Amino acid sequence: MKQNTEEQPRIVGFLCKWCSYAGADLAGTSRKKYPSNLTVLKVPCSGRIDPLFVLKGLRLGFDGVLVSGCHPGDCHYQTGNYRARRRIVVTKKFLEYLGVPEQRVQASWVSASEGAKFAQVVEDVVENVRAVGPNNLFSDEG
Amino acid sequence: MEPRIGVYVCHCGSNIAGTVDVAEVSRFAGDLDAVKVTRDYKFMCSEPGQNLIKDDIRELGLNRVVVASCSPALHEPTFRRVCQEAGVNPYLFQMANIREQCSWVTEDHNGATRKAKALVGAAVNRVYYHQPLEIRQVPINPNTLVVGGGIAGIQAALKIADAGHKVYLVERTPSIGGHMAQLDKTFPTLDCSACILTPKMTLVSRHPNIELLAYSEVEDVSGFIGNFKVKIRKKARYVDINKCNGCTECENACPVEVPSEFNLGLSKRKAIYRPFHQAVPNIFTIHKRGAPPCRTACPAGVDAQGYVALISKGKYKEALEVFRRTQPFAGVCGRVCTHPCEADCERGKVDEPIAIRYLKRFMADYELKAGREKAVKVKQTQQEKVAVIGSGPAGLACAYDLIRLGYPITVFEAAPEAGGLMRYAIPEYRLPRKILDNEISYIQELGVEIHTNTRVDSFKGVFDKGYKAIFMGTGAGISQKMGIPNEDVDGVVHSLDFLRKVRLGEDVKVGKRVAVIGGGNAAVDAARTARRLGAEEVTIVYRRSRAEMPALYAEVEEGLREGIKIQILAAPVAVLAEQGRLSGIQCIRMQLGEPDESKRRRPMPIKGSEFNIPVDNVIIAIGQIVDRTLLTRDLEYTSFGTVSVDPTTFHTNIEGVFAGGDVISGPDDVISAIEAGKEAAISIDHYLKGIDLKGGRPVRPERVKNVPKENIVKKARKIMPVLELDKREGFAEVETGFSEEMAVEEAQRCLNCGVCSECWECVKSCERGAIDHGMKDEIVEAVVGGIIVATGYEMFKPRGIYEYGYGRFDNVLTALEFERIVNSAGPTEGHVHLKDGSELKNIAIIHCVGSRDKNYHEYCSRVCCMYSLKLGHLVREHVPGAKVYEFYIDVRAFGKGFEEFYNRITREGTTFIEARPSGVTNVAETPQEEGKLIVHYEEEIHPGIPRRLPVDMVVLSTAMEPQEDVKNVCRLFNINQSADGFFLERHPKLDPIATATDGVFVIGCCQGPKDIPDTVAQASAAAAEVLSLIGQGNIDIEAATAFIDEKICSGCQICRIVCPYSAIDFIEEGGVCRVNEVLCKGCGACVGGCFSNSISLKHFTGEQLVAEMENMLI
Repeated sequence: MKQNTEEQPRIVGFLCKWCSYAGADLAGTSRKKYPSNLTVLKVPCSGRIDPLFVLKGLRLGFDGVLVSGCHPGDCHYQTGNYRARRRIVVTKKFLEYLGVPEQRVQASWVSASEGAKFAQVVEDVVENVRAVGPNNLFSDEG
Repeated sequence: MEPRIGVYVCHCGSNIAGTVDVAEVSRFAGDLDAVKVTRDYKFMCSEPGQNLIKDDIRELGLNRVVVASCSPALHEPTFRRVCQEAGVNPYLFQMANIREQCSWVTEDHNGATRKAKALVGAAVNRVYYHQPLEIRQVPINPNTLVVGGGIAGIQAALKIADAGHKVYLVERTPSIGGHMAQLDKTFPTLDCSACILTPKMTLVSRHPNIELLAYSEVEDVSGFIGNFKVKIRKKARYVDINKCNGCTECENACPVEVPSEFNLGLSKRKAIYRPFHQAVPNIFTIHKRGAPPCRTACPAGVDAQGYVALISKGKYKEALEVFRRTQPFAGVCGRVCTHPCEADCERGKVDEPIAIRYLKRFMADYELKAGREKAVKVKQTQQEKVAVIGSGPAGLACAYDLIRLGYPITVFEAAPEAGGLMRYAIPEYRLPRKILDNEISYIQELGVEIHTNTRVDSFKGVFDKGYKAIFMGTGAGISQKMGIPNEDVDGVVHSLDFLRKVRLGEDVKVGKRVAVIGGGNAAVDAARTARRLGAEEVTIVYRRSRAEMPALYAEVEEGLREGIKIQILAAPVAVLAEQGRLSGIQCIRMQLGEPDESKRRRPMPIKGSEFNIPVDNVIIAIGQIVDRTLLTRDLEYTSFGTVSVDPTTFHTNIEGVFAGGDVISGPDDVISAIEAGKEAAISIDHYLKGIDLKGGRPVRPERVKNVPKENIVKKARKIMPVLELDKREGFAEVETGFSEEMAVEEAQRCLNCGVCSECWECVKSCERGAIDHGMKDEIVEAVVGGIIVATGYEMFKPRGIYEYGYGRFDNVLTALEFERIVNSAGPTEGHVHLKDGSELKNIAIIHCVGSRDKNYHEYCSRVCCMYSLKLGHLVREHVPGAKVYEFYIDVRAFGKGFEEFYNRITREGTTFIEARPSGVTNVAETPQEEGKLIVHYEEEIHPGIPRRLPVDMVVLSTAMEPQEDVKNVCRLFNINQSADGFFLERHPKLDPIATATDGVFVIGCCQGPKDIPDTVAQASAAAAEVLSLIGQGNIDIEAATAFIDEKICSGCQICRIVCPYSAIDFIEEGGVCRVNEVLCKGCGACVGGCFSNSISLKHFTGEQLVAEMENMLI
């Protein structure tokens, strides 16, 4: 069994490049501090986030997945974040069916001006995922 | 080709290397698959750093590159270009962001290094799967859109236009000029603002390359850099831009005054206006906010605001003309209307509604007193004769509208005189006959023929006489019975018969004691008439409470004053008779139960509570019903016994016969009958012209919303003077009418809800015929290559800072307001004095109001220090010897010439106090403080000692803040906001006017507070950006578009639903979908929606993203 260590939890984040990735950059330029547990993938739009990526992340062994895009109504591509929002709801339902704690998959809406919010989101996500322990779903022992 | 990857880790000085062990990261990368070389270097973005990559590509045959440095938002284009220059496709490059998202967000060196490794590992694994992509080029449209006509927009537009390219300059207000046009002098040089701005404005208006779209707003933007498609709404000015020569005749004629936006409400402007004298374009605009509530509430749609506004200007004749555009009964309605207009009057939300009905009466009386000119007979233009049966308000209103449409009209009236219930049911003391006679003769003068004493027995007879259409307005003339014992005994009369006989001058006798049953106007009229005929004790018996009485409130009040008694919550159960003679009436007490269909509480009898009222006469006034025996039996009736008509057209079931008024509604008021008559007139016109009755009817205008009610001084509504009780002899009119002064004063209370009242005085005044109230908004479509957004700022509204007293004290002003006051073209023509006109001796200027304040805006607005000093200087220039106190936190004199300006002002004798005042009050503690405003503060250098400074005036140096609708502009142009709410530039230092959306630039104060020189510099810079874009001719656009593998595509077309850009076509032949790469924006939403997994997004394929994710776990 994997244990909670300093490196744990490992979280992968899918950030849309217009809002959330820019918000994460702003957190950096304004030197907000947050845990190093999250590593980020840039996607053009949260609408590009295939539910399979979320599942693949958990399958690979990440303890949590963060999906983040523009605020509803502010999508650079008009409606992509609405699609993301619906897809994430369905994905979470599916995971619930599999018995995966819902904290493992989280969504948030962060705009390009919300550096401080992004740092807070990371803090929260790390804390929430740490609370449900390491992801042993697909470990050899499990 | 086998991937050969080079990895370059940037130190970024100590920005990365100070936290991340870059050597370790570089070593780690060296062990990854396909990595042929790794290096770490101080500044990868520098020339030597870039050359490192180029040399390795050439010497080691690299075909893929990873740079781990800052955010790709910053240097991805740099390194892509490096790759391209060295012969590697720019898409075979990947960046790992180990600064913004790694070294800068943690102090944990181990964690940062571990995270940097994960990011580099991920990037290496991702770039392994990258595919070279073809960069597409599109031609750049050489036109430019500039949004916002302040100094920023003007400067940018002029520069681009001078270079020979077309510019669309869009400004939403009627004139360009922006805030700069409102300024008096500009710091630090004290140039006159108008003197340096207006020449530029004129240049704009004359420039052959600038299409100025003032009073317009951008509605929609689509497309991308080089090819934006924009839709601009050119709002209707109601003034022909080509005909108006700015002569101001219309402005003089317009009766409507509203606060001037340009002078910040310190002066008034007209509804047809030009914001300021030097406005560009120099033409007038009519401001229509919507239909005023008085007009939408009126069943007949009378333009009350129009005549009220004209009365306020003493134009009584014109006021009456406005009224007569809709209906002819100003004198009648001015007396008896139920005035729903007043119930909805916005002034009622401030204090009391405008006395609209009394004003209406005033203008009618005024005309009658002055002597009315004979109306001009309307020229008959139509051949089809129309018959109107019944000369009540419905019939006459219908006749009035039709005669004005040119139809020959004949009215048939059974009674000896025309007017219907207006004549026979409303007593003389309320509606003198000369008033009604006058208005009926006015209708006759227009050409309407009225045949009295003429009863119509059948429609056929009328049609046989050659009439092509009939309007039936025969009213509801049969009094309803109560259904109680002895109802028909001698001495019991019905109110309608009673009032009619009195009106006809018959000798009507009443006993000493009279009971009137009912609570409507007919009951009160009957009661007061009985009183005038000599009855000593008149009692109204009403089954509900006083609040439910449908009679006009004032009528009931006057009745009570005249000695009428009201028995509320009582209903008659029997008429008492002794030997066939009426002796009294038996009533029962009622109580109110649940509300019924009329939403009034239903009266219920209380058992055993019967009581008797001894009376000599009973007058029954409980309503009337339609006499069904009058006309043909073929007419269809409703279950209520009224004639059945189509609710829109008022057409009965008989071809060509229309009906309106009480005959279709049951007993109702005059104005509703007029409405029905007017609607029927429209139908009859349509009917005779053979057009669809329902189609093309005038649309009721929409009621105005959000009527501003700031700064309105409460003022009581004028009370209608009435005849003293002891002077009410016979049937003399009780209400005596407004005097001229009262009417004007009352009319001036109007809030002018709709702004333009549509009185059409301007139309009459315009010799060039430039005014067209029917003008519609226009949509202008344009294609542009670049967009410059210069939408400016708003001044912070200090009303929220209660302690500074803005809005509470007359002499607390904002800096911009004060700027207008010192301006010689401003509301006081440059005379600086207190609100009451008295002399100003000293003034306090409080800096940083709304700026540098956690409660409002944390940022510094950058201009307030200097403009405050400037205002201090201007005070002393206008009022020699005035003392000026500047309350400051720091004086920020950072710009060119600012420090020198500061020194100059200090030398002039302005007193600087380092303090942020805690408040402004008007409570004097010493005789010196009497009548002054007191600024409360503690000096920074003497904390803890509260001080008071009495001054005459306080100026608040308010912050600049983003425009209220900044979010909409963001959405429109795809711009982001920074944390302060202003627009976010792409890079604060190196790309300060570009935005995240290519081809969209932000300049001036919409990007952040700044002064005029900085704004102009940015504007010129934006012009350079746009011209550089145009000069390139073509532009590379994103190659990362979606791609459909047609071999797998099932043709389900779900992707087509998902795509917000309609970029996916269905190919009938083959039954598959195909992406149109020109339209595709590369969002990738379709990929996740594809069931057959046949769509991929280039450069963001599932393979690439999963590979990236896989190596993150190293």
